[in-house]
Amino acid sequence: MKRPLTEAAVDRRGFLSLLGVGALATTSGGLLAACGSGGGAGDQGTATQTDKLLQLMPRYQPVELIPPDLPGVGGAPHGYLSYPKNLVQAITETPGTSGKEIAAMAPHWGTVPPALGSNSYYDTVNTRLGVPVKFSLQDGVTYFEKLNTILGAKDVPEVLCIPSWNVAGLAHFSDAVSALFADLTPHLQGDAALNYPMLANLPTKSWLECVWGGKIMAVPYPSDGYPWAFFYRKDIFTELGVAPPTTAQELYDLGKAVTDAKAKRWAFGSIIWEVERLFGSPGSQEGWRKNADGTVVNKIETPEYAAAVEFMTKLFADGLVHPEMMSNTGDAKQLFNSGEMLMTTDGLGGWEGSLATQTAIDPKFDMQPVYPYSHDGTTTPIMRGGGRVVFYNFIRKDLGDDRVKEILRVLNWCGAPYGSQEAELILFGEEGKHFTRGADGTPVKNDLGNTEVAGPYANISGAPPVITPAKYFGQVQSRVDWNNAVTPLQEKDPWEGIRLEIPSKVAALKQPTEDKINDILRGRTALSELETIKKEWLQKGGEEGREFYAKALSDNGR
Amino acid sequence: MPTITGERSSAGVTPAPPVARRKPRRTPLAARLRRDWPLLAMTLPAAGLLVVFHYIPTLWNAIAFQDYNPYAGAAGSEWVGLGTFQRMLGDPGFWDATVNTLALTGFQLVFFFPIPIALALLLNSVLSRRIRKIMQSIVYLPHFFSWVLVVSFFEQMLGGAGLLAQEMRELGLEPLNIMNNPEGFPLLVTAQAVWMDAGWGMIVFLAALSAINPSLYEAAASDGAGRWRRLWHVTLPGLRPVIVLLLILKLGSALSVGFEQFLLQRDAVGAGAAEVLDTYVYFQGIIVGDLSYGAAAGIFKGVVGLVLILVANRVAHTLGEQGVYSKE
Repeated sequence: MKRPLTEAAVDRRGFLSLLGVGALATTSGGLLAACGSGGGAGDQGTATQTDKLLQLMPRYQPVELIPPDLPGVGGAPHGYLSYPKNLVQAITETPGTSGKEIAAMAPHWGTVPPALGSNSYYDTVNTRLGVPVKFSLQDGVTYFEKLNTILGAKDVPEVLCIPSWNVAGLAHFSDAVSALFADLTPHLQGDAALNYPMLANLPTKSWLECVWGGKIMAVPYPSDGYPWAFFYRKDIFTELGVAPPTTAQELYDLGKAVTDAKAKRWAFGSIIWEVERLFGSPGSQEGWRKNADGTVVNKIETPEYAAAVEFMTKLFADGLVHPEMMSNTGDAKQLFNSGEMLMTTDGLGGWEGSLATQTAIDPKFDMQPVYPYSHDGTTTPIMRGGGRVVFYNFIRKDLGDDRVKEILRVLNWCGAPYGSQEAELILFGEEGKHFTRGADGTPVKNDLGNTEVAGPYANISGAPPVITPAKYFGQVQSRVDWNNAVTPLQEKDPWEGIRLEIPSKVAALKQPTEDKINDILRGRTALSELETIKKEWLQKGGEEGREFYAKALSDNGR
Repeated sequence: MPTITGERSSAGVTPAPPVARRKPRRTPLAARLRRDWPLLAMTLPAAGLLVVFHYIPTLWNAIAFQDYNPYAGAAGSEWVGLGTFQRMLGDPGFWDATVNTLALTGFQLVFFFPIPIALALLLNSVLSRRIRKIMQSIVYLPHFFSWVLVVSFFEQMLGGAGLLAQEMRELGLEPLNIMNNPEGFPLLVTAQAVWMDAGWGMIVFLAALSAINPSLYEAAASDGAGRWRRLWHVTLPGLRPVIVLLLILKLGSALSVGFEQFLLQRDAVGAGAAEVLDTYVYFQGIIVGDLSYGAAAGIFKGVVGLVLILVANRVAHTLGEQGVYSKE
């Protein structure tokens, strides 16, 4: 897990804990969801030509069981203001035929539910599936280490769920994929996908990221593609009589106005990504951009980034960032919840987590995302886009066609969307046993439900994301509005859908460079050092990086 | 060992050829097995562990000389000779990390190593067994905390939003920058290490102290030796073999000064102060998936450690100490 989240290492714990609430609608920002690193033999790096592979994609056939109350605009997820009254049975046939137990491994955050055999929720779902799925749930925080071991030992279960943010760190992952997992292309390419209607309902952008070596190798759990937002404490803002910023200067003045060390209150927590964003520093593929003239540049070479760095040094130097966040030892979520800091970057799932837990502790607590703005208030702001996959689900090689088909039918069943009886069963268990209905029909889990019902069925195949009161309570409107405001501004990733395996020389360059930038930000070295860092970066592999990214584009005719 | 003395005396009488000298040792193998089998059986599990978990894994060091790809296996990976080592030794970042590591080891040797000894002496002089037990438990408890906890604890106490800083603000003073200060970093990490591990390190010295013959103290006291003289002439010489042994072992691990402690505080003080060999290997080897690089760094550390141990042991022998192993 380690450093994909680097500069918001502050976010590391926060990020994991937000996942812990089962709120998975996020991947980390700038994280190369589509990228392995380390490279293959010779470490030259590779880029698959995914454009030519569009024809490989499953036929997209949306399934809309319940019309949304708040439609998402431009591909943004739909919002539902209330729980649907009439649930639809999405799948009539029983997916399992062999009765032979399916072994699956998935990450889990929080207390592990009772295992198969003493878990009535598993039994209920397995009965509907017609085949028992036996989950080995592993601690999500250390899942990466576990993956490294089982992949290295070539000892994988029939279904293996791999979080997209783990992929970047897994060495030689492409080789692992072709050595260990089944090629799903014959089952899912084009119209073949219509045999699995719930899988055909998943967005093509998510499927594109499941291609390795020119083959569909995994079933995606789709992400809504909003990696993170910059949040503020609206309740405290109102109390202090301040408003969220609309320019960089306002952000700075705001910081000055609300920071009061004596009262143990600081303006900012994790803010580096947000400052880079508002100055328009490139963010695709961790900091690359294709200029209008076709040249490829890294953020470190751009004036936007230099301006962002300069601005951040001011924030740090003037003590506007919480001291514990400066050391990266702080628990961002806890500091934000307690009001010790008022603005911080978090995954959107972090919002969901807070709504689920913090509002019960502090009824006034109101966390809202800042709406997009740019440094001068006139330039069109950019927003970061993210990977389109939360989890990849791989099926082991050499299982035989019938078994693969059976497993795909199970994944298809588990992928039934919002408004289906299947989705309710997966998310809440059985009515009367694991949950009861509230006045408005919303399922509320009872004690047994809280103990036994867990995420794994949902994780091994996800439906397209939706915004519902189950996760957003009274904030469905806020979230849909924000999504709709952000979506048209999302930075277009020129490398979207191209699987990049970064040459190790370029990958190894990242940490030393970040370290030196950090030295500037925290005032340990002068701002003028940025020029030296840039030169060194160019010399030590930056140029190779540029060639690599440029070649990936030209190979794909972009 | 009676056989050897017998052998020597006979050799003294007639200068026999070497073959003849060795002869009496050569009890037939079968006889030796019959005689020693319980001893051999007892060592078998330990030897097995050593083979399975040390010797066989050691063979995998070979990947340091390859461009290793775990899915192609060691057989399918390309051999690159010393290429990885060249790359590593040619990287200034590697040398910065090495220098940092050695500096920190040196610093800790001076400011950390003596503390458990002093603590043991202090505690040993407490007469009440009850108080001694309680004290001992309190000082070695932090050893069982994780580094995350220890670092957070220091942050809560000494950090910019911590107890000390808030108190200073209350008093209208400018808070001290302790946790984010690269210059003071060696002192900070040593303080953390002392807080966490001094009590634990003390245990072995306490054991050594209890092994010193009390009659030596009585004899010294009746000869008129005061407290300091007894410490100097009885206690410290009694501890000396243990001190030397631990010192040598410590030198052997000079290049492993810790990992989590530095990883956690790296951004707070910058890589310039906090990059040590282990974090360097982590970022340049593990994170980017270059296992060969990690293996090469491991070999480097092993070789340097071995050389340091051998040199220190040699010095110890010259000074008349037993060291880790004796030559005789």
